[in-house]
Amino acid sequence: MHKILVVDDEENIRFLYKEELEDDGYKVTVAATAEEAMKKILEDKPDVITLDIKMPGMDGIEFMRKLKEERKDIPVILCSAYGRFKQDFRVWASDAYVVKSADLSELKLTIKEVLGEVEPK
Amino acid sequence: MKDNSQGLKIFQEITRIANSTLDIDEILEKIIEVIQSKLHIDACAIYIADDNHKQFKLKAAIGLPKDTAQFIQLELGKGVTGWVAEHHKTLALSDAHNDPRFVYFPEIEEEKFNAMLSVPIMVDKQCIGVINIHNEDQREYSDLSIFMMETIASQVSGCIRNAMLFNKSQMLLKEQTILYDISLAVQTSTQLEHGLWIILSGVTMGEAGGFNRAMVFIINESTNTLRGFMGLGPDSSEDAFRIWTRWGRKKKNMLQWVVQQAEKEEYKNSTFNQFVQGLNFPIRPNENILVETVLQKTSFNVTDADNHPLVSEDFKQALQANAFATVPLIAHKEVLGAILVDNRYNNNPISDEQLRLLTRFATHAGWVIENSRLFTKLLDTNRELLSTREQLVQSEKLAALGEISAEVTHEIKNPLVSIGGFARRLENSINDLFKKYENEKELEKIAGYSKIIRSEVSRMEKLLTNILNYSKAGTLQRAPCNINELIEEAVFLFKSGFYMKDIAIHFELEKNIPPLSLDKTQVKQVLINLFFNAMESMPSGGSLTIKAYPETYVGGQKIITLSIEDTGGGIPQDIYENIFNPFFTTKSTGTGLGLSISRKIIEMHGGTIRVENSIGQGVQVYLHLPLQNCPD
Ligand SMILES: Nc1ncnc2c1ncn2[C@@H]1O[C@H](COP(=O)(O)OP(=O)(O)OP(=O)(O)O)[C@@H](O)[C@H]1O
Ligand SMILES: [Mg+2]
Repeated sequence: MHKILVVDDEENIRFLYKEELEDDGYKVTVAATAEEAMKKILEDKPDVITLDIKMPGMDGIEFMRKLKEERKDIPVILCSAYGRFKQDFRVWASDAYVVKSADLSELKLTIKEVLGEVEPK
Repeated sequence: MKDNSQGLKIFQEITRIANSTLDIDEILEKIIEVIQSKLHIDACAIYIADDNHKQFKLKAAIGLPKDTAQFIQLELGKGVTGWVAEHHKTLALSDAHNDPRFVYFPEIEEEKFNAMLSVPIMVDKQCIGVINIHNEDQREYSDLSIFMMETIASQVSGCIRNAMLFNKSQMLLKEQTILYDISLAVQTSTQLEHGLWIILSGVTMGEAGGFNRAMVFIINESTNTLRGFMGLGPDSSEDAFRIWTRWGRKKKNMLQWVVQQAEKEEYKNSTFNQFVQGLNFPIRPNENILVETVLQKTSFNVTDADNHPLVSEDFKQALQANAFATVPLIAHKEVLGAILVDNRYNNNPISDEQLRLLTRFATHAGWVIENSRLFTKLLDTNRELLSTREQLVQSEKLAALGEISAEVTHEIKNPLVSIGGFARRLENSINDLFKKYENEKELEKIAGYSKIIRSEVSRMEKLLTNILNYSKAGTLQRAPCNINELIEEAVFLFKSGFYMKDIAIHFELEKNIPPLSLDKTQVKQVLINLFFNAMESMPSGGSLTIKAYPETYVGGQKIITLSIEDTGGGIPQDIYENIFNPFFTTKSTGTGLGLSISRKIIEMHGGTIRVENSIGQGVQVYLHLPLQNCPD
C-alpha cells in the first residue's frame, strides 16, 4: 500500500484529499505547514508528496527545493489553485504539476503515473 | 342639297357630333355618315396628314371598297387630293378622269366616279387633311354644295384641333405621371443600379421617353474618366422588334410593370449593356462629344453625326447611329456623368420635346446617383461606428477581467475545491447508501441535491480558470511536448463525461509527430475548452473524432494540425460570426470565454484556429500549430 503525504494549509482540502485517496486504497498522512511536513516525511516515509504551492511561512516551492536537496527519491506533485506558477521555472524541479480542482481525477492519474502504476504520458 | 333649311340641319347635326366626343376617329366616322345621308353623294373619304404634313392617310370613308381603301396613303402634291392639300384650295371637277392632276388609284375603284369635290381641312394655315366627295354622274357642284363642304371641313378642323390639344394635355399628364412614378420608385431605391435601371427604362419606354437605346456614363473621380455604367436597349433590329411587341402588349400599366420587374437582371447580359460598360473615356477637352457634355454641362442634339464637329469617326463607328442626343447628369450643380440616347432602329429624329423630357429624366438620374453615394457613405460610417463600439465594449470587458486580481481568484478557488470535492463525495456516498436501501426515496432526492452542488461548482471553476487565463500576461512557458500525449491527457478528463453522454471517441493520431514547443497547460486548456463545446453540443450522444497530423504549408513551413470533429448539429448561421467574442454564449451555464481564450492561446503560439461549420451535421475545429525548433 503506497503512502501519500498531503501538504496543504487548508484543512478542508487536506480532509478532502485524505478521504478521496484513502478510498482509492492509499495510506494518507497530512501536514499543514512545511515544518510539519518535514517531520512527517521522516516519520512516515511517504512514497509521494502532494504539495500546495501557496502556504503561509515557507511556501511550497521553497520547501520542495530544500527537500530535493536531501531526498531526491520522493516524487513531488505540486498543486496550485491556478496555473500561474507554471511559468515559474523553479516549478520545473517538481515531478508533476496539477491545477487544483474539485474533480480529483487529474491528481489521481498523476499520482499513479509518478508511482509507475500507469504508463507515464 | 335642296335648300337652306337642309343645310342648317346638317350643321346642327355636325356640331352635335363634334361636341359629343373627343375621339377623332369616331367623329370622322359619324360626319361621313351625315354627309352621305344628307347630301346626295356616292362616296366620301377623309384623309388626315401625318405629323410632317407630307403624307395623307385615309381615316374614314364610305362608298369605297373597305378592305383596300384603308391602306391608301396619298402624297402631298400628287393627284387631285395632293394638289388640294398643297394649294389649300377647294377643287370641284365634273369630269375628274380627264383632269391633268388626276392620278388613278385602283384601290378606290375610282373609275366609276366621274365628279369629285375635294376640300382642304385647314388648321393654322396648315393643311392637315382633305375631304373628298365623289359622284358617279358628271355633275357640276353648286356653290352651295361647295360652301357646305367647306363649312363642314372647318368644323372637322375644329374637332381635330380640339382632339390634338386634348391628346397633348393627355400626353403631358401621362408624362407627369410617369415622372412622378419614376421619382417615387427612385426615391425608394438606394441602389444605384436599380434606380438608374428604372430611369433608363422610362427613357426607352414607348409611352415615355420613347428612345431606342439609352446609356448612362458616370464620372470616376479617381481615374478622371467617364465610364460606361449601364446600357439599355435592344441588341439588334430583331431584338428591338421582339421587345417592342412584348411591351406593346403590356401597354396598360407599363411603368408599374417596369418598377415591379426592376429586380430583373436581364439587361445585364445584353451585348449592348456589356458594350456600354466597356466604354471608358478620359475626361479632357476635345476627347469626344460625351466628355464635352460633361465638361460644358450642356446637352447636344446631334441630327447628323457625319457632319458634326464634335463627333469623331471612331465615336460614330462605335455608336452606329447617325442621330443621337446627350445630356449631362447634374446634382447640386455638380456634374456626375451623362446620358446618351439614340433611335438607332427606327431612325426617328429626336424632337426638342423628347430632349426636354430626357433632361427631366437626367435630373432624376442625377439624384439617384447622389442618393446612392450618400447612402453608401452613410452605410460605411455606420459600419465603422458599430465596429468601433464593438471593439470598445470588448476591450472594456477585457480590462474588467484583468482587474479581478489573481489573489482574489485564488481565495475563491480553494473553498470551491472543497465544496465541489465534498459534494462529489456526498453524492457517491448517498448513491452507495441508495444501493443498500433501495426503498429510501429520500436518499435519491439528497443525491440529486449534491449533484446540483457539484455541477454548479464545476461551472464556477471553469469560469475562474478562463478568467485567470485571460488576465494572465501573454508569456508562454514553452517546453517540448508530445502532442498526442497531450491530447490523451485532455481526453482522459472527459472519459466519464463522454461515456455518460454516449459519445464515442475516435482517434486518428499520426505516430512520429515531432515534439512541439508549447505551453502544455495552456494548450491543454484549449483542448479542454473544445472538448467541452463538443460534449455540450451532443447531449444525447454522438461521436467525436480527434486527429493529429503534420502538414506543409505552401511556403514550405511545416505545421501540425489537430482537428476535433463533433456530430452535434453545428452552429446556427446567425450566431456563427459571434462565437469568438468574449462572453458570447448560447448556454445557460456558459461563460462564453472558451473559444476566445482558445484563440488567444493558439495565436500566442503562432498558430491559427479555424472553425468549420456544417449546419445540421456538426463542427470541426482545426488547430494549426507551427513546428518550430524546440529549445532543446
Ligand atoms: N462544437 C460546437 N457545436 C455547436 N455550437 C458550438 C460549438 N462550439 C461552440 N459553439 C457555440 O459557440 C458559443 C461560444 O462558445 P464558447 O466555447 O466560446 O463559449 P461557451 O461554450 O458558450 O461557454 P464556456 O466555454 O465558457 O462554457 C457556444 O455558446 C455555442 O453556441
Ligand atoms: Mg465552451
